Amino acid sequence: MQDLAGGFVAPWDDTRVALPRHLYVHVPLCHSKCAYCDFYSEVDTGAPEHAAVVGHTVKLLRGWLTPHVRWSPLDTLYVGGGTPTVLGPHLVQLVRALTEVIPLAGDAEVTIEANPESFSPKLASALAAEGVTRVSVGVQALDDEALVRLGRCHDSAAALGAIRAASEAGLAVSADLICGIPGVSAGTWERSLRGVVEAGATHVSVYPLTVEANTPLAGAIAAGEASMPDEDATVEGMNAAARILGSLGLERYEVANYAVHGQRSRHNIAYWTGRPYMAIGGGAHGMVDGEQAHALGLAPDDRTDVGRVRFSYAPHLLPGDQLQPLSSIELMTVAEAAREDAMLGMRMTDGISDSLAEGAGVTEALESLVVDGLVEHVDGRWRPTERGWLFGNEIFSRIWGVVE
Amino acid sequence: MTDPTLIRNFSIIAHIDHGKSTLADRVLQLTHTVADRDMQEQLLDSMDIERERGITIKAQAVRVMYDADDGKTYQLNLIDTPGHVDFTYEVSRSLAACEGVILVVDAAQGVEAQTVANAQMAMNAHLEIIPLINKIDLPAADPERVKHEIEEGLAIPADEAVLASGKTGEGVRDALEAVVRLVPHPIGDPDAPLKALIFDSYFDAYRGVVALIRVVDGSVHKGLKVKMMATSTVTDVEEVGVRRPANIPVDSLGVGEVGYLITGLKDPSLVKVGDTVTLARNGATEQLPGYREAKPMVFTGLFPIDGDQYPDLRDALERLQLNDPALIWEPESSHALGFGFRVGFLGLLHMEVVKERLEREFGLDLLATAPSVEYHAYRTKGDMVVVHSPQDMPDPGHLDHVEEPFLKATVLVPPDYVGAVMELADQRRGTFRDMQYLSATTVELHYEMPLSELIMDFFDQLKSRTKGYASLDYEYIGYRQSELVKLDILLAGKPVDALSFVVHKDKAYARGKMLTEKLREIIPRQMFEVPIQAAIGAKIISRETVRAMRKDVIAKCYGGDISRKRKLLEKQKAGKKRMKSVGSVDIPQEAFMAILKVDD
Repeated sequence: MQDLAGGFVAPWDDTRVALPRHLYVHVPLCHSKCAYCDFYSEVDTGAPEHAAVVGHTVKLLRGWLTPHVRWSPLDTLYVGGGTPTVLGPHLVQLVRALTEVIPLAGDAEVTIEANPESFSPKLASALAAEGVTRVSVGVQALDDEALVRLGRCHDSAAALGAIRAASEAGLAVSADLICGIPGVSAGTWERSLRGVVEAGATHVSVYPLTVEANTPLAGAIAAGEASMPDEDATVEGMNAAARILGSLGLERYEVANYAVHGQRSRHNIAYWTGRPYMAIGGGAHGMVDGEQAHALGLAPDDRTDVGRVRFSYAPHLLPGDQLQPLSSIELMTVAEAAREDAMLGMRMTDGISDSLAEGAGVTEALESLVVDGLVEHVDGRWRPTERGWLFGNEIFSRIWGVVE
Repeated sequence: MTDPTLIRNFSIIAHIDHGKSTLADRVLQLTHTVADRDMQEQLLDSMDIERERGITIKAQAVRVMYDADDGKTYQLNLIDTPGHVDFTYEVSRSLAACEGVILVVDAAQGVEAQTVANAQMAMNAHLEIIPLINKIDLPAADPERVKHEIEEGLAIPADEAVLASGKTGEGVRDALEAVVRLVPHPIGDPDAPLKALIFDSYFDAYRGVVALIRVVDGSVHKGLKVKMMATSTVTDVEEVGVRRPANIPVDSLGVGEVGYLITGLKDPSLVKVGDTVTLARNGATEQLPGYREAKPMVFTGLFPIDGDQYPDLRDALERLQLNDPALIWEPESSHALGFGFRVGFLGLLHMEVVKERLEREFGLDLLATAPSVEYHAYRTKGDMVVVHSPQDMPDPGHLDHVEEPFLKATVLVPPDYVGAVMELADQRRGTFRDMQYLSATTVELHYEMPLSELIMDFFDQLKSRTKGYASLDYEYIGYRQSELVKLDILLAGKPVDALSFVVHKDKAYARGKMLTEKLREIIPRQMFEVPIQAAIGAKIISRETVRAMRKDVIAKCYGGDISRKRKLLEKQKAGKKRMKSVGSVDIPQEAFMAILKVDD
């Protein structure tokens, strides 16, 4: 911003609204579609497209800057997908170009989502050199037959190789695993959990296999070619993950996430603690507070009760599309934002404080959950019990259900 | 006023689906009562539900002017009637206003149970019956066989039966010629004091009660002071007119004429169907014979899913009752379902139609409990308790005996399926009375059976076991003693009053077992184990368990998932809202109807 003299503006005189300190960038390309996935992505077509994606993403990012807002140095940057690593060398360019637009804070966490088939030691070191600190590897299971059934295009050796490569390049590694896959024995599941940690993962995410509508997996089940995930086996798998990862020094800190001390995902914690985050890319979702929303033109001026705005990009957002083609903008009141914070906070072992619960008006709901043994109230905080981890939906919907 | 010798009043009667309403449409077209461009199917069926379901529920009357072959123009008053057994009372009301009927029989289906029932009603009313074989354009049409069935089964000469097709219009003129020739013209005394029969009525939000009348003696015109004889209500005539089919005011209605009468009365209970309208001063002293009051036979509890809709439900029932005197109701409260109403219906179709109208026209979300009948419970101390709801059944310790309504059921079926019908009737406590061949292709069977068995999907079973060929009619024959017990259902140890039902003691064990099994499938897994028990008094006769759910969690929830998952939770919550929570157990609506789906 320029003052009348056209000179320097001191930070304390800068009236522009600071944008979020967290940024999510979506790369909607994959080598191929997995059988269970219902997220938006397109099948990768090669290098010319990669260059275009980089250029377009940066253009979108720049497009957010208006005279009313200014960038904040990023605490966290997360490049997810899709499969960002299909971009290969262009991914390195993308990270560089993004951080040229918005500077990283000194201790920024920069995560790249990776799939084993498009990850290599060379890419790992190039990314590390560009400021990337963390890689999240899609492993799913160390069971080659199961990987084929899930439509993954790598085997377990490649998955372990990717973890080692990232680790050797000095990157923190998270591994994604899926429990409850029909045909994966308890023994294989335990070997998967131990295997990724032994290879160097210091963070593990465990998701139950979910059959989403309109996926090849749902079709195969309907046709009798695949079986439904067994509920008991899934529950055993979730419990085994907590037990085994705990014994390996990875503590649960969220419903599905485990980490050794100091390795929790700061970016994901931002999602669960109500911190605003910007987003770029087809199908990506962002969230800003009321002040940011007004400054960005995402909320009408006459709405004074806006506490939070969630927005998302239209899918199919590939080069050539208009600038900022948002497909949804959801205005939330201050009260709704508080309740959402309470709901998301209850995904974490830390839970939520008395004052957050009180402010969100959910204390009564939490008390009823205590009666049902899903929540405990200890030292001024509400947190899920062991049983509560398995009945998250009951907790979330009762907390959210206050809004009507 | 028209010379009575040029008036013909007639009804069209038929088994359901034999094409009565389409035929009526053709009559309107042929007589230019309705321009071709205004023609829509089933014109006389004015309710959406009637058109959608292709059934007639309310009787309708319309006047058409017909230029007959004899060169004279006749005033024909056509009264369309419902064809479903539930609405028999509407048919009897309509017949009282007529001198003749066209008895429509499907050329392929032949004589069916309601054909027999309606023909008998017409005979008892001493009406001229003109048989008409409809749908002769169908490839499967067999008019000769059907003529034979009409003669054998109904003892009505059918040599000169009119052959017609409502679809093509063929034979419709022949039918009207037959009406002119065969149906007697009305006879009355134009100089006697007014005597008119109210054969139907409906409620108009602006005009109040509109009575459909048939003038027997005298005449009625605007401004006349008249008296409703049964209620002794005196009022002024605001308007008289005829329906063509829209209401057209006329100066007066004379002997034999059919039309409508508006008095400005707003209270339907003052304008009773079956009552006689006469002059307020020096009127007639004797009423016309009324007809039997519609008596509700089937009772069900209707509860709003959202308790806040209770007052709306009461208002809606009051509104429907204005046009449907057969609908009766009283408040009922249930521990499981909260406040609602116990509503009496003529039969199952009537119940379905009313429930659908309440939901559709009044935007209500309703839960209906399994239908029941009116039991008479005699207590040991000698008095009798009328039981409309199983939960009102006295304690077995105080009960001497119970009586329940019985019916004479008539089933018409091809000979190949007689065995299947007998087997079903036997399972439903039916007592065989007699059987006769109406023709080589149709057998008539008579059974006596409890109404409570008939309302348990008997008709669906009958249809499915006879590949759809069987037709059914029934009439009430009185109360008889039965060995009945009340069966209670307990969920998580607590009795759910709305799931209780009354059953014959020999069937209680099997029914209880099947119902608990069915409920186990219907009740979704909850966070805890839910035992389901069936009990007679304190004795548990069967038990099933709904296993506890092991997990219910959305594991993946990052930036892009939050809105989506929140909406998913809201959707699930909306789904739960459609269930009833009893204690801590969520019960889907279909559980309350499960008793009906239990196969013997």
